[in-house]
Amino acid sequence: MIAVLVDAFSVGGLYALTALGIGLIFSVMRLANFAHAEFVTVPAYALFVLSGHPVIMAIASSVLIAVMLALATERIAFRPLRGIDPATMLIASFAVSMFLQRLLVFAFDSRIKPVDPLAVLAGSVRLFGAQINLLKLTTMVTCLVLLVALTVFLKYTRFGLEMRAAAEDFTMSRLLGVRANRVIATAFVLSALLAAVVAVLFSAQTGFVHPRFGLQIVIIAFVATVIGGLGNLVGAAVGGFLVGVVSTLLQSFLPPDLRPFREAFLFFIVILVLLFRPQGLFPARGLKERI
Amino acid sequence: MLRRQLLVTTALATFVATGAASADDTVKVGFVMSYSGWFQPIDASTIRGAMLAIDDINAAGGVLGRQVEVVSFDNRSEPALGADGAIEVIDQGAVAVLFPSDFDFGAPGAFIAQEAGVISLSGASDPNFGVQGIGSFAYSISNAAQSQGAILAEWAYNEMGWRTAYTLLDTTIAFTNSLCGAFDRRWSELAGDDALLGSDTFRNDDPTIASQVTRINSLEQAPDVIMLCSYAPGGPSAIRQLRAEGLDQPVMTGESLDGDYWIGAVPGLSNFYVVNYGSFVGDDPNPDVNAFFARYAETYDRQPDVSYGIRGYSLFQAWARAAERAGSFDAEAVAAELDQFDNEPLAIGPTTFTPDLHIATTRAMTIMQAQDGEFSALGTYAPETVHLD
Repeated sequence: MIAVLVDAFSVGGLYALTALGIGLIFSVMRLANFAHAEFVTVPAYALFVLSGHPVIMAIASSVLIAVMLALATERIAFRPLRGIDPATMLIASFAVSMFLQRLLVFAFDSRIKPVDPLAVLAGSVRLFGAQINLLKLTTMVTCLVLLVALTVFLKYTRFGLEMRAAAEDFTMSRLLGVRANRVIATAFVLSALLAAVVAVLFSAQTGFVHPRFGLQIVIIAFVATVIGGLGNLVGAAVGGFLVGVVSTLLQSFLPPDLRPFREAFLFFIVILVLLFRPQGLFPARGLKERI
Repeated sequence: MLRRQLLVTTALATFVATGAASADDTVKVGFVMSYSGWFQPIDASTIRGAMLAIDDINAAGGVLGRQVEVVSFDNRSEPALGADGAIEVIDQGAVAVLFPSDFDFGAPGAFIAQEAGVISLSGASDPNFGVQGIGSFAYSISNAAQSQGAILAEWAYNEMGWRTAYTLLDTTIAFTNSLCGAFDRRWSELAGDDALLGSDTFRNDDPTIASQVTRINSLEQAPDVIMLCSYAPGGPSAIRQLRAEGLDQPVMTGESLDGDYWIGAVPGLSNFYVVNYGSFVGDDPNPDVNAFFARYAETYDRQPDVSYGIRGYSLFQAWARAAERAGSFDAEAVAAELDQFDNEPLAIGPTTFTPDLHIATTRAMTIMQAQDGEFSALGTYAPETVHLD
């Protein structure tokens, strides 16, 4: 049972971080950033390119590359479109995503490339009477620490205050002296940091990277942000966590014949949630007036 | 006047004759394959193998005295584009078309070829790429998934003495479903119904198979062997997660996880067994297979990292022989000759086709192992009993 819970929480944690990364950008600029998948994939490729170098250096560089990539896409692709309707920006983010994916295929071909950033965590420890894999434990702890850190950042720093203000009412916060460029850039930087952490933890688990690496986790995280309530950061984290936990529990407790249809059950639950709470579990306050 | 008419007639006749002669010089075959996109690495070695065969055929004087010329089309890893590709290469005169080594990827084009009366060739390991599914002109050079499942079950039981098994099935593609289905059935026949300790499913793009691994770990009795029916990238990820959670049992799988290109994902992989079309590391029991892969490495200046190249080679070897025997490129005539193949010695091994079955079921395959991250051949094994239904 403990093992099942550890599985559920470590998966839920990864989804929560990914959903938060998407939610951060959505909350300040109403952009459902599909290119978040590549914010995860690109740093994982950086780990591949830098494998053989000291792990700390490889991880630090991949985080840096993720941040630079996020700032570059914001500057080149999204800033010119700011204020245009969200559907256009969504399509633009699709374009960025596909462009980066094709670029990776071009540079590295589409075969899987080995990465092993956290080889030191290969073992397991005994905890509460169960063998717990160190990597999963690290994943859980890292997710928890990051969630707390992000909360502190948003609640108690000037940047955080600005971001929360922008999320609530972007125009009003600008009138009150919040700089749009700075607050959006901060959102992209934070989003990229989270994506890079996901890249390290997720690639340590799979052992490789390929051009669609980020996509598999980001698609589910998108669903999570919708369940949680688009534009609400607490909602994104809770939604991500719930989707991860529920899908793991479904896989664990569904009878064998029904397990191949796990996704159908998961999305049925998603539909139920949305039927009863169309704005998600934690509706964003700033969003309602806009529609 | 008469003289002038004669001149024109002679000129016309000469023109027609030269035109006919140049058409007679060559015969076209189509490659409607994934030259780009995510399926490209899978098709690449099949294409290289096929080109080796065509070079050999042309060096030996061609087929029916005509040099073979390839017209290619890139389906960009989009199965539906295969249909456009088939139309295009058949318009250009292709009399046989090579399609990707997967039923879903090959079928859209092969249906077009069937309607147009053109031979389809593929390495798809699905009996449906043949009379049952596509039609009478479609041939697969592979061993059917059902045959691979049977080989692995018989080898595990008879040669390795394993008595309990657990199957982990990636439900995403048809091949893996047939592979595990055939394994389960043959394993139950050999070892008894209780010898399958359980089975579980996952999808190739599942970010984690944590619950599946935990379930195996909480079995009362640990299985002797885990049968994993998957492909990259989900397959290597699954093996890594099994090993990370202390499941060090032998893991077996079919041709879909052939090759060593992914082994970096599971450093120091041991106790891994895969059935394929010949050892690509130079230690196959059959010296011809070793010679083939040595030549492949030399021609393309790269070590083969899967065994699929020999399928591409054998497909055109088979087609050329059948066309020679038929004395024609007509699909009916070539198919009639292919259907006569009775343990026909091809690079891939003795191959049999019948009017009802256009895929190998009883041919021996090589079983390779990985120990400490290194692949080596264990031997070749033919199945005793294969259930196709």
